[in-house]
Amino acid sequence: MPAPVARCPVETPRVPPRTAERFSVAPAGASVIVDTVFTLGGLLPRAPARTPSARQGTALALEGLTFAAPGAPAGSPAILEGFDAHVRAGELVVLAGPSGCGKSTLLNLVAGLLAPTTGRIRSDGRDVRGAGHDRALVFQEAALFPWLTLRQNVEFPLKVQGFSRAEREARARELLALVHLEGRDGAFPHELSGGMRQRGAIARALATDPAVLLMDEPFAALDPHTRERLQDEVERVWLATGKTIVFVTHSVDEAVRLGDRVLVLGDRPSRVVAEVIVDVERPRVRGDQRLAALAAEVAAALPRARGPLALIDSPDAPGDELGHDAPFAPAAPHNTSHEPNSASSSPRLRVGGGLGAGL
Amino acid sequence: MAAWALASSLAASALFPGPLPVAAAVVEGVRNGTLPSALALTLARLLAGYTAAMVLGIPLGLGLARIAPLREAVGPLVFGLSAVPSICWLPLAILWFGLSEWAIQLVVILGAMLPIAVATESSVRTIPPVIHRAARTMGASGARLLFEVTLPAAFPGILGGAKLGWTFALRSLMAGELLFVSGGLGQLLETGRDLGDTALVLAVVLVIVLLGRASEALLFARLDGVVTRRWGAEVLP
Repeated sequence: MPAPVARCPVETPRVPPRTAERFSVAPAGASVIVDTVFTLGGLLPRAPARTPSARQGTALALEGLTFAAPGAPAGSPAILEGFDAHVRAGELVVLAGPSGCGKSTLLNLVAGLLAPTTGRIRSDGRDVRGAGHDRALVFQEAALFPWLTLRQNVEFPLKVQGFSRAEREARARELLALVHLEGRDGAFPHELSGGMRQRGAIARALATDPAVLLMDEPFAALDPHTRERLQDEVERVWLATGKTIVFVTHSVDEAVRLGDRVLVLGDRPSRVVAEVIVDVERPRVRGDQRLAALAAEVAAALPRARGPLALIDSPDAPGDELGHDAPFAPAAPHNTSHEPNSASSSPRLRVGGGLGAGL
Repeated sequence: MAAWALASSLAASALFPGPLPVAAAVVEGVRNGTLPSALALTLARLLAGYTAAMVLGIPLGLGLARIAPLREAVGPLVFGLSAVPSICWLPLAILWFGLSEWAIQLVVILGAMLPIAVATESSVRTIPPVIHRAARTMGASGARLLFEVTLPAAFPGILGGAKLGWTFALRSLMAGELLFVSGGLGQLLETGRDLGDTALVLAVVLVIVLLGRASEALLFARLDGVVTRRWGAEVLP
């Protein structure tokens, strides 16, 4: 996987220039300027490459969003009303809230599959008008095309963008390796497990190097074990690519496991009722007491009227919901994986030394 | 086969020939050339009519599923007419075109096109919405969306319609050929009836059965295999 393509910092001049990139695209005659930029770039404070959340700039701006479902009975509350949120470039933001609170609607608006009744969505400084490959969406249900092999699925968005066959193949190979599906490229989706399909969907979503990766409860239909493993996977992919990710979930544990920041949404019309900053180093360890405490904080912020119990009517185990994910259990035994890729997530075990520090 | 032989020997009637006279009639038909030429003619008609039915029926079904005004305007008509046995069109066809090739083709095309259109419509309409939403977020639109997403996604259902259409085309054609001097297998059946040659009638029926089986094996078995391999066994139409 190559370094993520830097996007033009249109409205954020504070972003330091990407020196290597300037260098590579400059015409030969401009070598003096390039040298200068190169030198200056080296002097400027730069965000460390592996901590994407430290990057500057707004990737996504939602301003005054109102959305009422067309055909809804008059007088019923809008799904969204005057909703504001900002997502920084490289940030992993989780939207958590009860089922039906409008968090999926929010993602569909950002993806451009729905149009807001009023308000404005800007992605990378540009107004969102309709769906586009710069905002990739990973769906809850299997959305891989059943008539295409895994590799053809990953290649599909590249084909739409007009990449050559050789480029498509190379990129698909890279992405399938990134999500640890190498060797399965010829398989059809029905031949893959649910977890593999979602990893394939993530690879496909990353194919065109979108500015924002939107994930709409991507693991809600998976068993808890697979789900935990895929959370590790998302964190790993995020660390490797530095993508801006907006992740929707109704699981409190999943929210604090993944998010830099958790926005807790209330009932309709939906608004942010709490913002929980998850300042826990990565890769994170399941069972970290700080995560458990933050999960309790998120759970407490959830709308009282329906309460956390309203969350339990979900496909996954009830124990996964309330943030009581065995807070004092040692970290290691939680992830006895059956797939070879789990080896990659082993470094996080050492982080367990920080247990309790945040309390 | 044994039961057939036993039953016909018990009946001991010229109206119920056993396997041997029927086999002899097939051999005789092949030897004197009537059976192969009738088969060729029928097959040519079938392919022409069926192709036309596919070419008209699939876009019609697609339009019915996707274009609301079209669905409202001609949907009830198409669904209503698809319930009409195609042979019912023959009198009208004969009034319009006389006893001609066109009359037969009208019956074949109508008979096959409507089930193809109905199957296409329902399979396109029932494509999981997430497929199109995913395609749109990947930037697919227009012809690419149609040919690389919608039609492939609906393929198992369209294949089901295509198989149904083939059977309907064959039935309509036999019915059409029975009615006048057409030179096909249907007319050969009629000849058998005129001559009181039940062995010939059964021989032609046997050929039609084999034609149905062969077309199944040659045309559709591979496509069924494609669907099973890609979608898994449970989606087979």
